[in-house]
Amino acid sequence: MENLNRIALRLSAICLLFLSAGNVLAQDTHIRGFVDLGANLQDDKVGFGFGEYDLFITSELNDHVTFLGETVFRYDKTMEHEFEVSIERVIVNYNYYGNHSVLIGKQHTQINYWNESYHHGRVFFPTVGRPLLFEYDFIPLHTMGVALQGLNLGKLKLGYTLLVGNGIGSKEVSDNDKYKSLTASVHIKPAENLQLGVSFYNDIISEGADEHGFIFPEKTNQQIYTGSIAYFGKKYELLTETSYLNNHTASAGNNGSLASYLYTGIRVKDKWVPYIRLDYLDFDKYAPYLGNDDTKSVAAGLRYEVNYLLVLKLEFQHDDHDVLGSMNKLTAQVAIGF
Amino acid sequence: MGNLMRRFATHFLLSIILVGLCAFTAIGQEDKLVVVGNNSVPSEMDMNMLTSVLKGEQLRWKDGSRVSIALMKTNTPVGFSTCERLYNMTANELNKYFLALVFQGKVKAPTFFNSAAELEAYVSQTPGAIGVLQNTNAESIKVIRIDGKEKI
Repeated sequence: MENLNRIALRLSAICLLFLSAGNVLAQDTHIRGFVDLGANLQDDKVGFGFGEYDLFITSELNDHVTFLGETVFRYDKTMEHEFEVSIERVIVNYNYYGNHSVLIGKQHTQINYWNESYHHGRVFFPTVGRPLLFEYDFIPLHTMGVALQGLNLGKLKLGYTLLVGNGIGSKEVSDNDKYKSLTASVHIKPAENLQLGVSFYNDIISEGADEHGFIFPEKTNQQIYTGSIAYFGKKYELLTETSYLNNHTASAGNNGSLASYLYTGIRVKDKWVPYIRLDYLDFDKYAPYLGNDDTKSVAAGLRYEVNYLLVLKLEFQHDDHDVLGSMNKLTAQVAIGF
Repeated sequence: MGNLMRRFATHFLLSIILVGLCAFTAIGQEDKLVVVGNNSVPSEMDMNMLTSVLKGEQLRWKDGSRVSIALMKTNTPVGFSTCERLYNMTANELNKYFLALVFQGKVKAPTFFNSAAELEAYVSQTPGAIGVLQNTNAESIKVIRIDGKEKI
């Protein structure tokens, strides 16, 4: 039965693609995609593989309304030789006035620069993978809800997002409780290629909520405060973000955890960018679902941009985990846009 | 004979200077760009506003019509010049810039054209369209003055 469901899901996805393709001539619809292939050396073993196969569709429904969809096909770790389909973004954008819009649907939570900029396109990533705070579910990556958004307002090119969504523990099709998450973020661009941003996230997570397999044992009040600095100039690149997460429960009170990363790169000879990324995760021992695996990590790599659709990266990463111990990994990646 | 030689030399030198000046002027003319627009587009703007509009930072004009950017393909001389002079980017950087913004759902990508005639037709038929050309004689579109100049 499960297999039948899986086949039906795949057929639906294929039909959807063909239907979209059929409409390409009738309206302004574009289908693009991203994929990455790689090899890594870890524990004296070399392995080859590919990452996410990302299909990305944009369509203009009329002069004010646009659609954006992002669907990822990725290897399912729980099912050998199987792939899962994950709808990452489904957004209907209504540009109601000037640079102000309403966004409805499943979106990447506008909580930090990385999550809002790179999504699943590895060709845009400055490093091989995401910063470690993404791997530990430190921030809610997706939110299903409604957002008010403004872009490039005034001399400082101010941008804002106010997003109300289902929150942690909910599913794409329904909310698990009556509480709504709130994300408020603002950024400015005071100089060419420079963006400074802050955000605030608030949610009340119900007892029994399931977040990626972790069951919250009691009602939890969560706030996340984030600051970002991003500079991507012709020669120098800098991206640093810090998030402070506070969980409040009746039994443990307030407990705070911190996650930061700093990426910097320097462009040499037009297409070559040597870079380094430092990650720092400091979890409170009572923080639910984060575990207590405080981590420090350094990744150093070299990026070669053949062109905007083909980027090669070679990266060495050393992690020091409190629980998992030390790890070394060498990764080569070919990231493609098509 | 000596007088004839001097006159010949003077004429030859003047000819060389004249040819040089013409060539210099022609190169200068070739480098110039003209910004054209549909009726919804303001007739005048400054360079800061132009670059902001061309980078997709302004979604609508004051009359509410949507900004549509029309550019010559980046592998054409005018497209190349547009990248360098108005965007301060290479063709590759420009393509990456817009692909990233489209992926973020923040802008509609510019429409790229092979010929000036196609671009002129698109601008004349699309409310809110703004484009960059080397020159235009089309009556159905207007030339936008940038910092008071028709050619930039």
